[in-house]
Amino acid sequence: MKIKNISKKIYHKAFREILWQIPLITLLAFTISITINHLRSDKIPLIGNWSVDARFSDSDGKTLVISLEKARELFENNLAIFIDARPKEQYEEGHIKDALFLPWQEVDTYFMEIAPILEERVSNMERVKSDNGENKNISNAIITYCDGESCELSHELALFLKEMGFNNVHIMVNGWTLWHEAGLPVSVEKK
Amino acid sequence: MIKEKIDYQKILFNVLRIFMGVIFIYASYDKILNPEAFAKAVYNYQIMPDFTINIIALWLPYLELLIGLCLITGIWLPGATTISTSLMTIFISLMLFNLSRGLNINCGCFSTQTTQDTIGPLTILRDIAFLLSSLYLTLRIFFFSKSQDF
Repeated sequence: MKIKNISKKIYHKAFREILWQIPLITLLAFTISITINHLRSDKIPLIGNWSVDARFSDSDGKTLVISLEKARELFENNLAIFIDARPKEQYEEGHIKDALFLPWQEVDTYFMEIAPILEERVSNMERVKSDNGENKNISNAIITYCDGESCELSHELALFLKEMGFNNVHIMVNGWTLWHEAGLPVSVEKK
Repeated sequence: MIKEKIDYQKILFNVLRIFMGVIFIYASYDKILNPEAFAKAVYNYQIMPDFTINIIALWLPYLELLIGLCLITGIWLPGATTISTSLMTIFISLMLFNLSRGLNINCGCFSTQTTQDTIGPLTILRDIAFLLSSLYLTLRIFFFSKSQDF
């Protein structure tokens, strides 16, 4: 009896209306979005390239990705400066040995502090590279990293550093997890 | 007495309807301006197949815009509130799913900037408040209204 009373209160017209309103609204949104995208100067392709190389590229579309093996080789030859783009707490819990701390989310606060150290390390690295003249196929690099395949912090930071005039900036995608799992040297600041 | 109560509910309904309309339009604004950045935010949820990412990133902001316009103007309300409640439910589920698997990503709710709006308890609570508002509108339309009420 109670259920019958409630059902009487249901606004049946609304149920009939959603049958055409939902498809109409969704289709209208779809048509408008595709049309406007087509007319825009900064349009995006309907099917994008979401490979790692394409996602972590610079403004010219050139990939910035560096592999773990290459990063390790540079590290062992003192030809790499690692920069951790993650928040402070994660950096303190563990980071690549000698990595600089420059969290992308607070880059304005930390960059001026880090910039002179980074420049000094870059000139040291250039010296090591020139001393190591016989190994000319190895170039030096600034390598940013964060954690996770989709982490964008290292990418944003790499683009920022390139904009600030630093050369040979690369990204080690999912850097912390790969480095840590490979048993390579790390530092921990938190006790 | 009964008439006063009905008027009060109507005011609440209209306030929430316009409030949710403004929220949806505001949410669509930055995404429409920056489709590439929003596509990255969609990708970062790591749920949808790659070939659907750009289409979703293009379509969703205009869906939000249309829902917002429908809510503010009061047209197609049954459809608009049903979509809005469904969207809020999907958004909250996706955020909870990604929080539970430890992904630290940008919500992409109101801004496409990677430094803003990271998923956390506050973003989820905020979206639950929006879901409740949307649910109230939907329930009123379907169960406690007559056509002349809105």
